[in-house]
Amino acid sequence: MGRYIVRRVLIAIPMLLIISFLTFLFINLAPLDPAEVVLKAQGVPTITDELMAQTKEELGMDRPFIVQYFNWLIASLQLDFGSSYVTGKPVWSLLGPAFLNTFKLTIVSSFFIIILSILLGVICALQEGKMMDKSIRGVSFFLTAIPSYWLASMMIWFVSVKLDLLPTNGMTSYQSYILPVTVIVISYAGIYFRNVRTSMISNLNEDYVLYGRACGLPEKTITMHILRNSLQVAMSIFGMAVPIILGSTVVIENVFAWPGLGSLTVRAILSRDFPIIQAYVLILAVAFIAFNTLSDIITAAMNPKIRNDL
Amino acid sequence: MMFVSFIVLIGTVLTACTGGEESDADIEVSTQTQEEIVYATAQDINDMNPHLYTGSMPAQGMIYESLVENTEEGIEPLLAESWEISDDGTVYTFHLREDVTFHDGEPFNAEAVKKNIDAVQANAETHAWIKLSTQIEDCRVVDEYTVELALSEAYYPTLVELSMTRPYVFISPNDFIDEGTKDGVTGFHGTGPYMLTDHKVDEYATFTANDAYWGGEPAIETITSKVLPAGETTFLALQKGEVNFVFTDDRGVDTLDVEAIDQLVASGAYQLIRSDAMNTKMIVANSSQDESPVSERAVREAIWHAIDRETIAEDILDGSETVADTLFSSNIMYADVDLDRRSFDLEKATAILDEAGWLLEDGSNVRMKDGNALTMTLYYDSHSSSQKTQAEFIQATLIEAGVQLEIVGEESTSIANRRSTGEYELLFNQTWGLAYDPQSTIAAFTSEASYLHTTSGIAEADTLYQKIEDVMVTTDEDMRQNLYADILEIVHDEAVFIPISNGSLTVVAPTELEGVSFKQTQFELPFEHMSFE
Repeated sequence: MGRYIVRRVLIAIPMLLIISFLTFLFINLAPLDPAEVVLKAQGVPTITDELMAQTKEELGMDRPFIVQYFNWLIASLQLDFGSSYVTGKPVWSLLGPAFLNTFKLTIVSSFFIIILSILLGVICALQEGKMMDKSIRGVSFFLTAIPSYWLASMMIWFVSVKLDLLPTNGMTSYQSYILPVTVIVISYAGIYFRNVRTSMISNLNEDYVLYGRACGLPEKTITMHILRNSLQVAMSIFGMAVPIILGSTVVIENVFAWPGLGSLTVRAILSRDFPIIQAYVLILAVAFIAFNTLSDIITAAMNPKIRNDL
Repeated sequence: MMFVSFIVLIGTVLTACTGGEESDADIEVSTQTQEEIVYATAQDINDMNPHLYTGSMPAQGMIYESLVENTEEGIEPLLAESWEISDDGTVYTFHLREDVTFHDGEPFNAEAVKKNIDAVQANAETHAWIKLSTQIEDCRVVDEYTVELALSEAYYPTLVELSMTRPYVFISPNDFIDEGTKDGVTGFHGTGPYMLTDHKVDEYATFTANDAYWGGEPAIETITSKVLPAGETTFLALQKGEVNFVFTDDRGVDTLDVEAIDQLVASGAYQLIRSDAMNTKMIVANSSQDESPVSERAVREAIWHAIDRETIAEDILDGSETVADTLFSSNIMYADVDLDRRSFDLEKATAILDEAGWLLEDGSNVRMKDGNALTMTLYYDSHSSSQKTQAEFIQATLIEAGVQLEIVGEESTSIANRRSTGEYELLFNQTWGLAYDPQSTIAAFTSEASYLHTTSGIAEADTLYQKIEDVMVTTDEDMRQNLYADILEIVHDEAVFIPISNGSLTVVAPTELEGVSFKQTQFELPFEHMSFE
């Protein structure tokens, strides 16, 4: 198992390097002079040649591309992503709190998504083909298809404005979590519970279930066995749920004015605040790779056969 | 959780389905009687250093003050009680108010003025856009409350540029880093009616009334700037009363659409207040593009005649802007000049093109001359939905006159880049706005970073540039008036700036809020004059 973990982690390193290089490259391919972008982002009304030259020198943009990349990479490894073009503040001081806010939202949402997915998945699998199964799948299909932007606006209108129960936006108290989390759960639980359901159903048809029943094991015990086996498959999918939600809260954060990564990045993109965009892409890539690695390791721990595949 | 989600959702869907029957006036707006203003803004107030350009201008306008103020009646005293200008126009002597302190208790005096002006000048490259920064030679302390500003030559817009929201405003010298402000400041203490008392990045900023304000404590105790990136949320927050004030932001973008504003006003809880015309939205034609038909005056004039401004203002802009016939509206200083109006007239447009030799051949819908087709490209800001619609509309009318327009949407930075490199035929732009106009926009006619390519291809370009140089330094009021009239006439005749509409500042405020007025800039509001009934 130890060897598996080491090998799995080693594979992640070159992937990260490739992603970091591509991130840096793509942003440098933008058809604008970075120094000009900096000055425009800082709102300087008129840009002169002298100012451009001065800015390039200050930011080290006059050096060759590859030197700039390695400088950036080495600094990034120490969590120094440079300074925001717009505010001049260190990127980490802006990304840190925003990341934390998004992470809180992601963790709470992921928790409910996992609980709800397992619950619905199990109910549907046990009731396969019956009315209950069909209605849950029908409703979830309908809900997943609703654009989260619209859903969020309608919820704010109904719950916050009409019923006056919750705040319309912001991140002031635990109440602020209810609406955004509900929207995220509605958007994602529908996708994940189907995986649990399918996995449960395929297990239900396995020989060991038949054998268990033949031996007269209580139905509850059999269901728990099926669930345990099904969750092995679902594990890797749930593992990816965290980074996926982390990276897709943009819409939700915008609607609910949630001061997280999504809002920060949208603004960074609009004002071409490249250091923030680069750091964001890198953090998400790390999150994807880390959670992917983690779920592989957990799956391997649960199923020794997989360890030999690597 | 599951059940809460479903119940809420089903409730929402059901109410949404029946909601269609509700009339606009039925929308309940639950603004409680509030004594504070909470305004929605799409962006954080950012770094409030008044000597740099990243901070929110409306917020900076509350905290910092300038020596003089630009009003409808002209330049009025602010932190300077009075001033004298030397006969040759190069030395300005300011007598400061003696009852002013910064928010941190530091006295506002000649020494503080000097330190601030020196700090601005130490970063001259950044301020090159404001011509005064290139003219200031020295700032001298005469006595505790008298300060002298020495210029290299007479520069008539000096007082106007000193009145702007930035950079010539004053921050407590205690906030300086290394005797300056170009590398940041340690606090944001101005002399203005409000103090920044709380700021949570990307969430909100609170401004509290300055009870020691020399102009008297403002009536509204707190003003909060709340970051709400989505217009829909702003609308809902206004309905709930969590936010009770919105206005056109720094970039001229209205967060609420016209329909939302109408609904709020119809509820009776809000009022809509619009300022006079503040700027001109226009199409800029590149006269120096030798290869292109746009270099011909007749073509530019024909385009001008072929644009139906009435329809644009009424239908595309929903009546939120008014029709513009000239580069500057007549309420701009020195711009009340009698110029020929070029009305929407497709027949006239075709006649002008026929006369210029651009002829329609049988079976073609695009005019030709010497084997060249009358085809041009118009660039618009891809983030502006109204510019795109206008571009499409103009494209559709121009083809009726035999002019083929290609329209291309680009990022605003890329459009600004085209403007400075001259790689365009036609592009959307707007004037700098009241207070900055006409001098800043006109000064930009000669600047490579702005409109040099627009103006350099016209026949009288040299005369135009000479007149611009003269107008900035003349001390004779009549002469200045005449020079501006000549300048405006030249660019009008040459049709290089094709006006479309005049934009204004929009405020949506609680009905019981009084004293909402506007300044001479589109970037700030005098919150200190506001009070609740």
